[in-house]
Amino acid sequence: MKNDAMQKWRSAGLRLAAAAILAVGVFGAQQASAQVPGRFYWKTLSDASAVPLIVESISGNTNPFDPSHLVTPGGSFDATMALGGYAQTFTLMDRSAMAAVILPMGRLKGEARTISGTSIQQSSAGFGDPMLEFNINLIGPQAQKNIPDVIRYQPGFSLDLLADLAIPIGKYNSEQALNLGQNRWYGRIGAPMIVQIGPWVPGRRTTLEFLPAVWLFGENSDFVGQTLKTDPLFQIDAHLTRDFTEHLWGAIDSSWYSGGAATIDGNSGSSRNDLAFGLTLGYTINENLNLTVGYKSTVNDSAPGDMHMDNFMITLVSGWHPLIEGSRRLRSE
Amino acid sequence: MKRASMTVIAATIAALFAAPAPAQAQAQAQTKRPNIVIILGDDLGYADMGSFGSEIKTPNLDALANDGVRFTNFYTHATSSPTRSMLLTGVDTHRNGMGNMDEFTAPNQRGVPGYEGYLNDQVVTLPQLLKAAGYHTYMAGKWHLGKAPNLIPAARGFERDFTLLDGAGSYWDMTNFTAASPKSVFTEDGRYLKELPKDYYATKTYTDKLISFIDANHGDGKPFFAYVSHQAPHDPLHLPPEWRNRHVGEYDKGWDAVRQERLKRQIELGIMPAGTKLAERMWFLPDPIVLAPAARAIMGKKMELYAGMVENLDHHVGRLINHLKEIGEYENTIFLVFGDNGAEGTDLLKMIAGSPGSRDFLFAAINWSQTDPNAWGEPGSYPSYGPMWAQVSMTPFSQYKGWMAEGGVRNGLIVSGPLVKRQKGSINHGVMHVADIVPTMLEVAGTTYPESKDGKKLPPLIGKSWGPVLAGKADSPRTDTDYLAWEVFGNHAVRQGEWKIRWQYKPFGTESWELFNLANDPSERKNLAAERPDKVKAMVALWDQYARDNNVILPSRSMFETMEDTMPPRVPDDEGYPPLIYKKQFVPPADMTADPKP
Repeated sequence: MKNDAMQKWRSAGLRLAAAAILAVGVFGAQQASAQVPGRFYWKTLSDASAVPLIVESISGNTNPFDPSHLVTPGGSFDATMALGGYAQTFTLMDRSAMAAVILPMGRLKGEARTISGTSIQQSSAGFGDPMLEFNINLIGPQAQKNIPDVIRYQPGFSLDLLADLAIPIGKYNSEQALNLGQNRWYGRIGAPMIVQIGPWVPGRRTTLEFLPAVWLFGENSDFVGQTLKTDPLFQIDAHLTRDFTEHLWGAIDSSWYSGGAATIDGNSGSSRNDLAFGLTLGYTINENLNLTVGYKSTVNDSAPGDMHMDNFMITLVSGWHPLIEGSRRLRSE
Repeated sequence: MKRASMTVIAATIAALFAAPAPAQAQAQAQTKRPNIVIILGDDLGYADMGSFGSEIKTPNLDALANDGVRFTNFYTHATSSPTRSMLLTGVDTHRNGMGNMDEFTAPNQRGVPGYEGYLNDQVVTLPQLLKAAGYHTYMAGKWHLGKAPNLIPAARGFERDFTLLDGAGSYWDMTNFTAASPKSVFTEDGRYLKELPKDYYATKTYTDKLISFIDANHGDGKPFFAYVSHQAPHDPLHLPPEWRNRHVGEYDKGWDAVRQERLKRQIELGIMPAGTKLAERMWFLPDPIVLAPAARAIMGKKMELYAGMVENLDHHVGRLINHLKEIGEYENTIFLVFGDNGAEGTDLLKMIAGSPGSRDFLFAAINWSQTDPNAWGEPGSYPSYGPMWAQVSMTPFSQYKGWMAEGGVRNGLIVSGPLVKRQKGSINHGVMHVADIVPTMLEVAGTTYPESKDGKKLPPLIGKSWGPVLAGKADSPRTDTDYLAWEVFGNHAVRQGEWKIRWQYKPFGTESWELFNLANDPSERKNLAAERPDKVKAMVALWDQYARDNNVILPSRSMFETMEDTMPPRVPDDEGYPPLIYKKQFVPPADMTADPKP
């Protein structure tokens, strides 16, 4: 068969292969603030891998490494966090599935209040609790087992089952309230949803995405010498995302947290009712790399007991797939 | 082609419409004359309807076939406007103004009568003659025969029209292909449209308009001639979202497999004789089984869209048929269904906008750059399905639109209605031609072709009436000595009986005469020119006669003149070659396998 005659057919395949890896690059990662950018749960090619790197600069009156967001009234914390991880997609019962592990790390310092009300400076640095995540699609397109499946992927209405479990091995100092590790098991059950609005054409894709979830917390029996219990915390994240070009997209983000009242040695605190809004810009740098930049801030945070937190976040996610990498090598010959 | 004898026509008219008393006969003829509906698919392939072997679902067109008769040896021209010119005038293209397409008039053809690039004033049209005979005349769809006020449908005999004057364009709006001619031009009832109706989609709107034309005069006792010249399924493959994903993955199997399936059905149906072989896969197309799944999926999606286009076309044809049934006109309506030429294998957008930095490339970048497969079908996209699927549409024939191989000029024809006395659902293999429609329909209307117009002698009709064939009194309108001939872009051909010669530019042709026996070899696989020089000589003489009679001027420039320089060198299509790409993993006998010795 003639090489020149094959050129157009080969390019057709590679073009779509590139499209596939763009989808791989969508991988995000679990944040310590328990929120992820829009498009986190878009599906991609099975057997793809991704390494996310997330850097956040966070300030507020709650420990961003603690997803229960225990508010320290009058407190003021600043944190620089990085999260590294690894994610793998696969097919389970013909559905798209993903398993990931995320390891938070960073520095945290701030002014905390003791139970007696005294203001003290605390800090911590090191690794937080690694988190395992499993996600499987229940309603929506079948798993993308090959590139034709990727080509044909359109989320339509997709509903997933999400499960997270944090392993309490992060750095923990029982003598201070401010820690990277949480010294207790905790996790989340959620149901990420995607509603496709309009055509699924790069440059014009629009989605409305929701993540209703409930966080469940174990007991920290050594929280500055006391016992910390936290009620279930309900979470709803919402994102309206829209392509600006084939490579640039943006999102309006919001989150609402409810419940999660903390009890310390039998003294119950108030339930949370936190509302935050933010913006995200995403850019596909190349077939392997995706970048997002975002900012989010709480809005109903005027009372001393309210959580206030604002967060700059940059994510860089590198994704790959053996098929795509091999095609690239051949193409660059 | 031999000129049809007016005497024979008159005799046939008399035989078909004989009546006992002149006044009563006239009254009966007026009340009983059938309506005529011509449904033309633009680039619709020979094998695209279910009744011609397609897997594409065309129940409404198939119902017409089952109610009427299918013709397997029906010839059009190799491209759009030449076919349309003969359909509407019955006159050879080199006399009616379409000696070349307007878009490709050669320098030596400029200013020569017969090569105007539009339907010239030397001819009368079928709608003009039918209108004069008491018919209402309606048109909806593509015209492609001239844009000036004296050339549009309203000036050429149609009393009502909704028309795309261009040869193609967006199905959604007025976007056309080039920076020099960026907007498609439409007329409605003789007025040039400033904008299109709301909710415009070509196939739907044409059908809506035609139905409204029919309804407007329904009940006045006059029959109608309706020419619905659909744009579909000509590229761009534009179609509504709900029609785009009806065949997801069905064509990943590749073009060879679909061609084989269609041929099998054609043989089962009786469309093609047993033993028919597929034409060679074009030498520059790969065997799809060697393609990666992604390439097959993306190429397959093009055919998915095409199938959707044809099914959408069938749906709207069904709307028209159902409406005629509802108003009680179906039983008294003759339907003719066919495509205007071979399926389109050329990438028009690439041809127009293929050079980055060119004016038309920039135009396309703004207007036609929605290249993502998920955008195919939308405004701004220009999907076309390529030569591999065009060959599928033309199963089992060789080549496609623009060429003189059977894949360029042969099409499937359905005729149904009161004129058909043959067994319902039957198949006929007589040699038919698009120019036959004028004399046939003039007979239906009980009128004749005039000898002159405005004192000028009219050119002769080249077709032959189908009356005897449809009445079951003959199997073909042509004898073994009658012949058909074609020329466009310099490619030319002659068919006489079971023989055909063709001359085509390289690399599709040899730039010499090739000879084929279509009875034994409808796919034109074996060139017999070297074996039968006597036959070549005899048929070349027919060509010379045709060229003289019709003032054929071979073009000094052709769109195909440099094609050989831009395509892979032509090589034989030997099935299974090279074996390397077909050899599978060798599996040794299990009892002879062993682990390595230490």
